[in-house]
Amino acid sequence: MSFETDISRIEEITQKLNASDTSLEESIALFEEGMRLAKALEKTLAEAKRSVEIVLGDDPREAEITPLQ
Amino acid sequence: MDNLFMTELSVSELTSLIKQTLEQGFYGLKVTGEISNFRPSSTGHWFFTLKDASCSISAVMFKGSTWKVDFTPQEGDKVTVTGGLDVYGARGTYQLKCDTMEKSGFGQILAMLEMRKRHYASLGYFDEKTKKAIPKLPLRVGVVTSPTGAALQDILNILERRAPSLDVLVLPATVQGEGAASSIANRIQQANNLLLCDVLIVGRGGGSIEDLLPFSEESVIEAIHASEIPVVSAVGHEIDWALSDFVADLRAPTPSAAAELVSQGYLDYRNQVANLHVQLQRSIENRLLLAESKVRRFDTKAMGMRINSIISAKEYLLANAGNSLVIAQKQLLKSYAGRLELAIRELQALSPLAILARGYAVVHNQEGKLVASRMQAEPGSLLTLTFTDGSRKALVKE
Repeated sequence: MSFETDISRIEEITQKLNASDTSLEESIALFEEGMRLAKALEKTLAEAKRSVEIVLGDDPREAEITPLQ
Repeated sequence: MDNLFMTELSVSELTSLIKQTLEQGFYGLKVTGEISNFRPSSTGHWFFTLKDASCSISAVMFKGSTWKVDFTPQEGDKVTVTGGLDVYGARGTYQLKCDTMEKSGFGQILAMLEMRKRHYASLGYFDEKTKKAIPKLPLRVGVVTSPTGAALQDILNILERRAPSLDVLVLPATVQGEGAASSIANRIQQANNLLLCDVLIVGRGGGSIEDLLPFSEESVIEAIHASEIPVVSAVGHEIDWALSDFVADLRAPTPSAAAELVSQGYLDYRNQVANLHVQLQRSIENRLLLAESKVRRFDTKAMGMRINSIISAKEYLLANAGNSLVIAQKQLLKSYAGRLELAIRELQALSPLAILARGYAVVHNQEGKLVASRMQAEPGSLLTLTFTDGSRKALVKE
């Protein structure tokens, strides 16, 4: 699962929702799937969950990493 | 000139001669010295003294030239100026009139950088086709810069705002002075050896051309060129440049701009997802409106009216049918009554009782058999005579 595939899936869902031959039941199921994906993506992209770290020591063959204060 | 010694000169004539001699003899000069007694005038001209260890010379740079100088000279700055001698007759002084000024050594640095640039260009280090694409959604961005510099803070702030889920790894480096180039190059190699990140920002904030020099050093150029991880060069302000800008996969005008470039994918996706979110909602709203308009034709009121009209039509039929039945039954009864009367009348006509009423009697013997001949009525036998109003026993005599 990647951003790309999720986004393409939402685009596909939007197209199907706009198509006249999609049944109402199917539309609602698609809409729910699309919203679930969109919200998950928004959360992933906007969530402040990054780590900011710094490398200690100068040896290029190893790196001790610690959170940046 | 030969007869100069024979001639009596006025001060003006002498000054004029000196002026001619000096100004025509000393032009197109390039002079290096230290700035001293720098006095910018309110009208935009610069007055100062150029000196070295043992001598000094007055100097002036007029407004028409000073605007082309990209720094303001400070006491003690070593500069190289071009210009010529200028004699100010009213005071009997001479001065160096400067046309250009640059920090001393600047020209050499530029020339050296230019040469190095051509060298690496000829090696193909700057070729567009060797440039790696910056990942659209990096997971961890490495930043090779001073851990205490403003550039790092700018980068962290911008990344936090635009891509709050993007991890950042700071690879601290000395970014100016002794050892800076190898410090920067080591960090680039370290990031590659240990695959510490999927994109690297290599840079620092603004500074003098000397301050930025480490980013043009061979070791840094080689490290960036060898880097498997895509590198964004972000050195100084927009007007500054370093050779790292040319060899890197992407040049950012400032460290802040580098942060914007590596987080652009996240921002694009955020906008795209937000748009899709809105589109989804609009689509389902339209779909529901369509469904609602279809359902509205079947609302309870309309349904009730339709069913009522069906029922009343049937009721009418039923009422009619009831009437017809009653009429049919009556007619049936009537016809039965007619037939019955007829039958009764026929019956009555055939009834023996009617004959008896006319004076006849029916004769039965004792066995109950009808006696219709004299032979059946032996003398002495007992017969039953039935009249219209009852019967009597009779004894046959003869």
